[in-house]
Amino acid sequence: MTSTQIKEARPAPAKEQADPPANRRPLALRVRDWLTAFSFTVPALVLFALFVLTPILYALYVSFFNWGGFGAPSDFAGGDNYSRLLDDPVFLGDLWRGLLLVLLSVGLQLPFALAMAVLLNQKVRGRAVYRMLFFAPYVLSEVITGVLFAMIFAPDEGLADRVLGAVGLDHVGGLWFADQDWVLPTLFLVMMWKYFGFHMMLYLAGLQGIPAELHEAARIDGANAWQRFRAITLPLLGPTIRISVFLSVIGAIQLFDLVWVTTQGGPDHHSETMAVTLFQFGFKRYQIGYASAISIAMFLISLVFALAYQRFVLRRDTEGALTTMRGNR
Amino acid sequence: MSGLSHTARRRLRSTPLYVTLWLVGVLMVTPILYALVSGFKSTDQLSQNPFGLPSPWNVSNYTDILADSAFWRMLGSSTLIAVGTTVLTVGTAALAAFGLARFAFKGREVMFTLFTVGLMFPFAVAILPLFVLLRTFGLLDNPWGVILPQAAFGLPMTIVILRGFFREIPGELEEAATLDGCSPLGFFWRILLPMARPALGTVSVLAIVASWNNFLLPLLVFSEPTWWTIPVGVQQFQGQYSSDTARIFAYLVLSMAPALAFYAVAERQLIGGITMGATKG
Amino acid sequence: MPHAVRSSFSRRRFLGVVSVAGLGTAVLTSCGDSDDGGSTDSQGRTVVEWWHIRTTEPGKTLWPQQAKAYEKAHPDTRIKLVPLENDAFKAKMTALVGTGKLPDMYNTWGGGVLKQQVDAGLTEDITDQVKDWIGDLVPASRVPYEFDGRIYAVPEEIGAVGFWYNKAHFKEAGIASPPATWAAFLDAVKKLKDAGITPIALAGKEKWPGMYYWAYLAIRIAGVDGMQKAADAKDFTGDEFVKAGEHLKELVDLDPFQKGFLGAAYPGPTGQGATMGNAKAAMELMGQWAPNVQSSEGKGLGDDLGFFPFPAVEGGKGKSTDVFGGGGGYALRKGAPKEALEFLKWFVGPENNRVIVKDGGMIPVNTKALDALTDPNLKAVSDLLNSTTAFQLYLDQAYPPAVGQEVNDSVAALIAGSKSPADVARSITQVAKSQ
Repeated sequence: MTSTQIKEARPAPAKEQADPPANRRPLALRVRDWLTAFSFTVPALVLFALFVLTPILYALYVSFFNWGGFGAPSDFAGGDNYSRLLDDPVFLGDLWRGLLLVLLSVGLQLPFALAMAVLLNQKVRGRAVYRMLFFAPYVLSEVITGVLFAMIFAPDEGLADRVLGAVGLDHVGGLWFADQDWVLPTLFLVMMWKYFGFHMMLYLAGLQGIPAELHEAARIDGANAWQRFRAITLPLLGPTIRISVFLSVIGAIQLFDLVWVTTQGGPDHHSETMAVTLFQFGFKRYQIGYASAISIAMFLISLVFALAYQRFVLRRDTEGALTTMRGNR
Repeated sequence: MSGLSHTARRRLRSTPLYVTLWLVGVLMVTPILYALVSGFKSTDQLSQNPFGLPSPWNVSNYTDILADSAFWRMLGSSTLIAVGTTVLTVGTAALAAFGLARFAFKGREVMFTLFTVGLMFPFAVAILPLFVLLRTFGLLDNPWGVILPQAAFGLPMTIVILRGFFREIPGELEEAATLDGCSPLGFFWRILLPMARPALGTVSVLAIVASWNNFLLPLLVFSEPTWWTIPVGVQQFQGQYSSDTARIFAYLVLSMAPALAFYAVAERQLIGGITMGATKG
Repeated sequence: MPHAVRSSFSRRRFLGVVSVAGLGTAVLTSCGDSDDGGSTDSQGRTVVEWWHIRTTEPGKTLWPQQAKAYEKAHPDTRIKLVPLENDAFKAKMTALVGTGKLPDMYNTWGGGVLKQQVDAGLTEDITDQVKDWIGDLVPASRVPYEFDGRIYAVPEEIGAVGFWYNKAHFKEAGIASPPATWAAFLDAVKKLKDAGITPIALAGKEKWPGMYYWAYLAIRIAGVDGMQKAADAKDFTGDEFVKAGEHLKELVDLDPFQKGFLGAAYPGPTGQGATMGNAKAAMELMGQWAPNVQSSEGKGLGDDLGFFPFPAVEGGKGKSTDVFGGGGGYALRKGAPKEALEFLKWFVGPENNRVIVKDGGMIPVNTKALDALTDPNLKAVSDLLNSTTAFQLYLDQAYPPAVGQEVNDSVAALIAGSKSPADVARSITQVAKSQ
């Protein structure tokens, strides 16, 4: 089933329909019901409030101070940290690089993942092996991936340059992570290696929900493979694609480990992301107020994007689109 | 409608397809294979003979690491922290998802929205205040210092998936259970949880993978090697043996192995969880 | 959906969940913060928690070994070593400082970072306790830890930055003697290039090695006094500092660095140290630890290795005997057990310092241990330090962290070509003023 179908087939939430309108029942009963329901959520709520909400609210508070991390914040700065953000070429660069990564992802990674999904949705020998292989890097940590590729893309000594040299393409290879213009594309290559399999799996799940009869019928009507892809596969895969775009945007906004391990944002900020800038200011420059402002900005950007995307792009696709975003690029 | 010519034609037509898949497969597997083979060389051998098979095969890189108790301790703490995180996340999330899915109560949507908004918080956003908090609780250099925040940050996704799952269970079932004298809690764990086992399996696998790969939090929380997890260990090892390339390759391969083995075992749950996470509410 | 209800199994699992969650709250509430004084271990010994950054050899073995030796002689003290990799150490300290409680004894480089900790009341004033023996230590080594005549840390290491060069390469390029002026230096770079030798190894990924060039140029042009004045006035836009950038630009324009230097780390098989140690570049501007790294990450240069001070700049106020450097020291947190200082006194004392110098390949901080130094290159650095006319501490330590990082960052941008010399001076000033 595609997600849309799941949504349509899902029965309405049980309690809401089964119960008479709540306000007609005796107060004592309503209170008791409320307490029962609420008590189930208490453990999660406590955990969440303590370790997620408290730190975030604290970050919000600190973001209005100039604070070096000593004692309690006392040097109130108003919105200074935020207006400074808009003047900071590194932060603005972070936004630009984030956008670039998203564009690369939507323009190259996702189409590639889709193509692979379509190929592997056919009866192909070794299909299970390919599927498993393409997805495997997803389970590796970004730290391991980063260290591995930092070694593979080491100038001259690394595998990449040696292979290019061996086939006489030395001039193509070069500095990879060490070059200001190459670093972002190189980083993107690594991200693609690690994450395209994830998107491919989403598409495969979507493709399996498209009834074979539709393709059969179109074939009988004389539609060729490309026409069938355009007229049947793509539209029916719409919800899945929209979610996968969403996930790669959120992933790009939060990118940290991979960059930190490979380049620390260099050379000269050319691979820096918001999270890296945040870390630099928080843990290297001790400008914790400003670092907190960056973290709040990151949060707001994610939130505004998510809400806008839900409202205008996903609309009635699913309400669960916010899921599995963490760690999925 | 079958026939030799038909199969032959099909085979011919599918050649480009196989070539493409094979090429992509090679690109995917090369980095890992290269690391695996390079681990069997000495660093000198590696720089002189980067492509060929090792000669002689040098197993000491691997055996040295495997003989080092530090490696096993790291594996142990990664496992313990992953299991602790998973049990805590899935346990509390299942309760909450039940409350949010099966009852209509005032403030429910607000609460659910609160949790879903939590999906927008990357660890990095909270890391500084989180550190202060953990210190106040005395949770630094303590596995709970990683488990509790990880569990908290894992809640939103787990709740969203489980809630979607719980909502699909027909109301008649609950009515029948209530008529049989089941309390809401009884219904939850005698009927709902067993039915939700596939879903619980998938969210557990997702939580394990997330915990296993987390880097920033364990890096900051654990100052002593006792509790270092694999990503932290890899980074430290790289710093320590930075010039011994072959040994780092061996270390990387051994560090990847548990995750890949886990993937091989739990492939279905993992992929199920990922697709479910993205398509269900 | 199959109605497979296997309640016993799931209940067991569920109870497991609940009990683990309960344990969590128990840990949460029982682990309060115990402040003040040291803690004791099960044998009643006072525990001194010691955070240091010796994670590579020889310190990695030497430090615990010496601590063990001390414990043997002092059965009432336990030294609990916490070795941390440099970056991890700094990140953790940042976070710890925010919580107001530091380890009993910890690594410090003095300067602005230590000053902030002192101002926050986190670091012990040890002036009165150390006055009897601190005079034994090399004067330059003590500078970074003194504020307004009060002492806040004890130096354990001292060193200076200068040029390490490959004598064979210089000979091959026809450079008779190490350059003494900036013009001669640029000339030497050209000669090396003409001879097909990469003149300079630089770790561009880590920004601090590039900062050394700008800092030394500024010291040579403005003098250490001029540096101090600029720091006090929080204004680096003066002519001297722009000129420092322009001179650095002259060097960068010669394209003197190894291939891929912008992505190169300092350690590692393709790092600055290995490039130098494998004779793939003729020079590096680096501290006294350079020879160690050259031979641990690369093959090492042996007798081909030489050292010369940073050249003078024509018309500058600084002398070529003004030294840019620093070391490391250990500070105590406020309220640390007195055993910590006892240990520290022993650790930098002549006897132990001799062991450290001999087995650790370090430059003596204790003047009574000077005789233990035999390595000719380190002796050159040591002599430079002992004949210092003025001493400038590493900028990222001397200045508040944000300013130090901005110097690193801006100079890196200058080397990468995205900032002009005037931009560098302006950026640093801007951050300094915001402090």
